Amino acid sequence: MRGQWLRELGMGVRFAATGGRSGWTRTLLTAVGVGFGVAVLLLAASVPTALQNAEARKDARQPDNVFSGSVEPAGPGTLLMEWGNTTYRDLGIYGKHVQADGDPADAVRPPGVARLPRPGEMVVSPALRELLDSSEGALLAERFGDARIVGTIAPEGLKGPGELAYYLGADNLDTSKGWRVTGFGSTGGERPLDAALVLLLVVMITVFLAPIVVFIATAVRFGGERRDQRLAALRLVGADVSMTRRVAAGEVLFGTLLGVVTGFALFLAGRQLAEHVTISQISVYAADLTPVWWLTLLVMTAVPVVAIVVTVAALHGVSIGPLGVFRAGTTRRRRVWWRGTALVLGVAVLLYFGSTVRDGRVNQWGVAAGVLLMLAGVTALLPWAVERVVSRMNGGPLAWQLATRRLQLNSGMAARAVSGVTVAVAGAVALHMLFSAVEVQQTKEVGRESLRDRVEASADIEDAAEFEPFVQRYARTEGVESAYGWLGSYATVDAEPDANGYLPGTGVRVADCRTLRELFAVGTCADGDAFLVESPHVPEADVRPGDRLNLAEIPEEPDGPRPEPVWWTVPEDARTLSDTYAEAGYFVGVVATPGALDASRLAELSAGAVLETAPGDADALEHVRNTAGLREFQERAQPLGGTVFTSEFVTIRNALFVGALVVMLVIAASMVVSTLEQLRERRRQLSVLVAFGTRRGTLGASVLWQTAVPVVLGLVLASAGGTGLGVLLLDMLGAQVTDWLAFLPLAGAGLGMIVLVTLASLPMLWRLMRPDGLRTE
Amino acid sequence: MTAQNASGALLTATALHKTYGATAALAGADFAIRPGEIVAVMGPSGSGKSTLLHCLAGIVTPDSGTVFYRGHELSGMSDAERSALRRGEFGFVFQFGQLVPELTCTENVALPLRLAGVERKAAEARARTWLERLEVDDVRHHRPGQVSGGQGQRVAVARALVGSPRVVFADEPTGALDSLNGERVMELLSEAARETKAAVVLVTHESRVAAYSDREVVVRDGKAQDLAGLAGAA
Repeated sequence: MRGQWLRELGMGVRFAATGGRSGWTRTLLTAVGVGFGVAVLLLAASVPTALQNAEARKDARQPDNVFSGSVEPAGPGTLLMEWGNTTYRDLGIYGKHVQADGDPADAVRPPGVARLPRPGEMVVSPALRELLDSSEGALLAERFGDARIVGTIAPEGLKGPGELAYYLGADNLDTSKGWRVTGFGSTGGERPLDAALVLLLVVMITVFLAPIVVFIATAVRFGGERRDQRLAALRLVGADVSMTRRVAAGEVLFGTLLGVVTGFALFLAGRQLAEHVTISQISVYAADLTPVWWLTLLVMTAVPVVAIVVTVAALHGVSIGPLGVFRAGTTRRRRVWWRGTALVLGVAVLLYFGSTVRDGRVNQWGVAAGVLLMLAGVTALLPWAVERVVSRMNGGPLAWQLATRRLQLNSGMAARAVSGVTVAVAGAVALHMLFSAVEVQQTKEVGRESLRDRVEASADIEDAAEFEPFVQRYARTEGVESAYGWLGSYATVDAEPDANGYLPGTGVRVADCRTLRELFAVGTCADGDAFLVESPHVPEADVRPGDRLNLAEIPEEPDGPRPEPVWWTVPEDARTLSDTYAEAGYFVGVVATPGALDASRLAELSAGAVLETAPGDADALEHVRNTAGLREFQERAQPLGGTVFTSEFVTIRNALFVGALVVMLVIAASMVVSTLEQLRERRRQLSVLVAFGTRRGTLGASVLWQTAVPVVLGLVLASAGGTGLGVLLLDMLGAQVTDWLAFLPLAGAGLGMIVLVTLASLPMLWRLMRPDGLRTE
Repeated sequence: MTAQNASGALLTATALHKTYGATAALAGADFAIRPGEIVAVMGPSGSGKSTLLHCLAGIVTPDSGTVFYRGHELSGMSDAERSALRRGEFGFVFQFGQLVPELTCTENVALPLRLAGVERKAAEARARTWLERLEVDDVRHHRPGQVSGGQGQRVAVARALVGSPRVVFADEPTGALDSLNGERVMELLSEAARETKAAVVLVTHESRVAAYSDREVVVRDGKAQDLAGLAGAA
């Protein structure tokens, strides 16, 4: 029995392999389609390894005692290190200043650094070297001064090939701003991924893998009608129904296995190319793109199984008899109940697991299952909706009638192709809504609108006398139009300590009225005035007029030795302010003019300057950053306002758009192939229509409508489903919907897809509209 | 003096040549047909019968030679003009695969009228009368896949005649039917054509089908031999 089955499967394989030019064309189409899907699945299966390896390298270059809080004694092998991360344009640059306590040759070295740079030297990543050598990086090169590049950081010291990183040799480091390092490799202090971020990743992976599965299912149906005719011929010579199914399975198996091999080849080729691609500062080494073995095994087995299941399921709709193939005259009406059930179940699962997300815990499997069920429900509703809608379509122009009648006869094929779009668009709409909400939240926090084109520089200073030169240094910086300086510190309120022994504290800033008017919109201001600044976003101790503040240095430990208190009382007539600068969370506390508070009484001074740059002058910010230099713990500059996303959000948002585009193109390609195949199958009918004098435009329009009707229905469903999913996901995060029209750009892209598919089909249609099809001899 | 005005013919062809690759399908074929006349084009398989019909109908442009329809030379017309001519003046019946599978029989018959711009309801009402006349009114709501070969061919005849064409081109209209059904289709086609005074170019290789014609033209090796000598008389 098993031998017979294998023989029949083998017969199918032979049909696929020896079917002549058209047979090979169909097999290759299937192989390329499946191959593309397999390559994407393998890429997805490599994501865990890539993340893990990048994370491991990141951990390996962390100083071992950075989070311990203790200062190690100097030794022959120890290294002083200070943070030097910086930003250039939108690019984040990882950097460290290094200085050996003893002989640099004996000091511990970060991974990937063959020789420790000496003062005036630096080692850089290949990507940073390239940037510094280019005209694009000229402004950044100024920041590094005369430092000479003496080496390149090897891959083991970088997160990816595109990472911008450097180690700069120094001779003036100490442990007040830096660390003494005895070795590298730390796992402590890592910030776990934000719950929203995890949620986004889960939804994205689910959303983008589902269309690939749909695409594979479509690809294995290429050439399905011709295959059915071949099977009818087999029935004529005595094959029974089961045998024909096994032959069909064998036939599709050949193309699919070829596709799996093609997929591996595409993946391996793409893997090499991946090293040269950096998207949104994310880059991976080819070696990192290694699929997890069990996921690889799953792909290799699941893809052929899906192919066979799809083929055999499709054969249930047709009756293959010895005299030909008959499609069921009255197709079984599609049921809505199970399709709706998947949707309802998805909503229920998301509501159930959603309640845990707000606490920062994400049940990834639960959320993924909910999203998948909901998307599957929306997608499953599509064939039903197409059937219901087209069955009600009657009349209209001839092109419309030809299209709708064709869909009435077999709407399943069109709906299957469009279902991939539905999944992608629904998912992308939901994600877009999430991003919009996050964007609005962050914009609110930085008060974008009113603080545009302002940069704030700040530094810790020893003496109030350093303040004026500090402000002047920035005021003279290229691109800076005006500078407003302030002196800042921290004070404790004369009140009862909290349960941990800490006294309530508040920020204190001293600035002249010109600065206060600009930063806090104080209105009337005279030297001698003081103000209280509040912000709804920053929880701080309430300070009231008349409160006594201690301006002395605050001991690090509550029970440590306390310096002599330096008392200052908040004037009774101090007014309370709340302005964008404060709303943005940049400062909360007491602001006083020099006449109200003598800055020399403040301990642990910091100097700040809010700088206004010429609108639209992107270089101005870089000039300010150059003035601040690379010792980020000593002096730093950051823009106030602007769209500030965490880098993870930027990365995911970019990946989302690229992914949605790729999915749409993939589905468009499969729709073009299906349409072309359908046209080829109807060559004779097209010729007859031409013989009647049918215009090209009529048939072209019928192709357009035939594509447009299911795609538009799919988009409507996807938009509704995606918006619903978005609302649920936002509810999980406790956020408000800020963009109800998130579906519009994607729906627009979908409409573009209709035009693309139609235009790509027209040349074949014109070719088939020739009388050759009428020839029978 | 040309054939078309010499004989009062509706459609004439002179010295048609047409090759497909290295194969000469027509090698100097002449043909003529008068209004209301039924002419059978006969010949063995591969002799060029269908190619002659395609050239006469303006579906295929001959490599050389002329085709005149009511004084207009077809090769001088644009593709759009020839399409318009086929829509308005000609009707077609083929051997198989000619009905649009997704349209109902009524919609199939109404198709030429709709192509000519007739409003849907009016077109379908007229289609209905032709379906009744060809005795297939009972399958008017069926799709082609749901009717028998004979019924399908009668629907095709109805479609060919619904637009009141001056010429009907029928290429092996009974080729896929059994003799009984074939006879009935030919009876209905010839009766309807005579009633509407439509000329019929009937391509067939069966004598019993040719018996419904007024005249026979034999095509052999790409040359047409007009047995009644109409084209030759020109």
